[in-house]
Amino acid sequence: MTGRGTPSRFLQSVLQNGVGRYVCQLKRISLIFSKNAQSSLGARNFIEEGVVDFAKKNPGTVVYISPEPCRIPRIVAEYLNGTVKEEAITSKTSQQISELVTKLTDQSGLDIIRIRKPYHTDSPSIQGQWHPFTNRPPAAGVIRPPSDETSA
Amino acid sequence: MVFLTFPCLIRNRGPDRYWRVQEVLKNARHFRGRKNRCYSLAVRAVRRAFVYATKGRHLKKRDMRSLWISRIAAGSREHGLKYPVLVGNLVKCSVQLNRKVLSDLAINEPRTFQSLAKLARARQEEGFRAALGDGSEPPGVLSRVVLLQ
Amino acid sequence: MSSFSRSAQQWATFARSWFVIDARMQPPGKIATMCAIRLQGKHKPIYHALSDCGDHVVVMNTRHIALSGNKWEQKIYSSHTGYPGGFKQVTAAQLHHKDPQALVRLAVYGMLPKNLLRRTMMQRLHLFAEGELPEEIVRNLTEELPQPRIIPRALPEYTQEERDAFPRLWTPPEDFRLK
Repeated sequence: MTGRGTPSRFLQSVLQNGVGRYVCQLKRISLIFSKNAQSSLGARNFIEEGVVDFAKKNPGTVVYISPEPCRIPRIVAEYLNGTVKEEAITSKTSQQISELVTKLTDQSGLDIIRIRKPYHTDSPSIQGQWHPFTNRPPAAGVIRPPSDETSA
Repeated sequence: MVFLTFPCLIRNRGPDRYWRVQEVLKNARHFRGRKNRCYSLAVRAVRRAFVYATKGRHLKKRDMRSLWISRIAAGSREHGLKYPVLVGNLVKCSVQLNRKVLSDLAINEPRTFQSLAKLARARQEEGFRAALGDGSEPPGVLSRVVLLQ
Repeated sequence: MSSFSRSAQQWATFARSWFVIDARMQPPGKIATMCAIRLQGKHKPIYHALSDCGDHVVVMNTRHIALSGNKWEQKIYSSHTGYPGGFKQVTAAQLHHKDPQALVRLAVYGMLPKNLLRRTMMQRLHLFAEGELPEEIVRNLTEELPQPRIIPRALPEYTQEERDAFPRLWTPPEDFRLK
């Protein structure tokens, strides 16, 4: 992929999340599945086994279970910054769905695109950034052209 | 622009020319001229762009290194040292900072860089003293640099 | 986030300095090397080719530059006007007589990178044939660069005592005739 053709961003975190305290950025997760379709078998198993534990473990996240007649069961995750992420869970086992849900919980909701630099700091300089007079004392008064001294 | 490519391919059951063309054009949308919308022009340009991108991934490392070197050279000149003197003597002092970190220090932490330059200068003078000995001539040698010092 | 504003820091980092250099009895090539580095901004650790961080350089006394060897007569400056028969060749002495800033300007121009920024950098080079600078330039100056070449003293500048004290290889006899 080319540099300009693909979107990119710099490394960032949401409101310095994780420094001091951690706020789970996943706010709402809805599990859309069918009650009788074969492709939703894993989703139904997950609802039986894991969804209550997941909801108890993440009190900051609202979990919706919505049975609809559909062929493609999916998970819709909504984040604090407004990102909505949709994942199809067709023919996935309960174990795979639980891994997927854990992954969605851990994400920050920022775009998953190429990151230009693998490091970032909010305070790049402790001693003050370099400027032309860092290593050079500013001349007192006006610099006189040397010809004045020779002629004088 | 919404591309729901994956569901569309499922619905169409097999390769479809329109979607294959879109896959190529997707990489050419920011190109200039008709290359960004005509497939027959775009497909060549995209191929060329990918070749350039592949080469560029190698060139980027080289360019960044030369940029760091010119920055370190500028920073060390401010302290009266040449670049090879600074880097060579820091290596002799087993300071294992690479060029990226050194150039970052020169910009963002100038006092740290200054102390590194002082360290290199001290090591250089130490090396000179070791090379010149204690100032006495070895037997059988009439003229040396020692006399000029 | 730091409490103070970053923009002031930014202004300080990218501030342009004004350098002055006296070209009296200096070879134009050595002057040009110092100028070209500062015009490009290569003397700053924040250097980047695209960030346009070059400084201003004021060169004075360009009329009094020095060339070594027989370069005043031997060095040829060639140009072509573009018309048939428009090939011009002048020696350094002729060119210097016509335009006392041309030698330094051409030397610096040749040392700058050959790209679109070259003309911009040349605009930051201020050449003066004599030692007097206009007041608005003197006000801007921040640093004076040392001369790359130590000016040798001419014989009239030595006092008689210094001439007498100068060590001699041999003492000429009384009846020695200088050719």
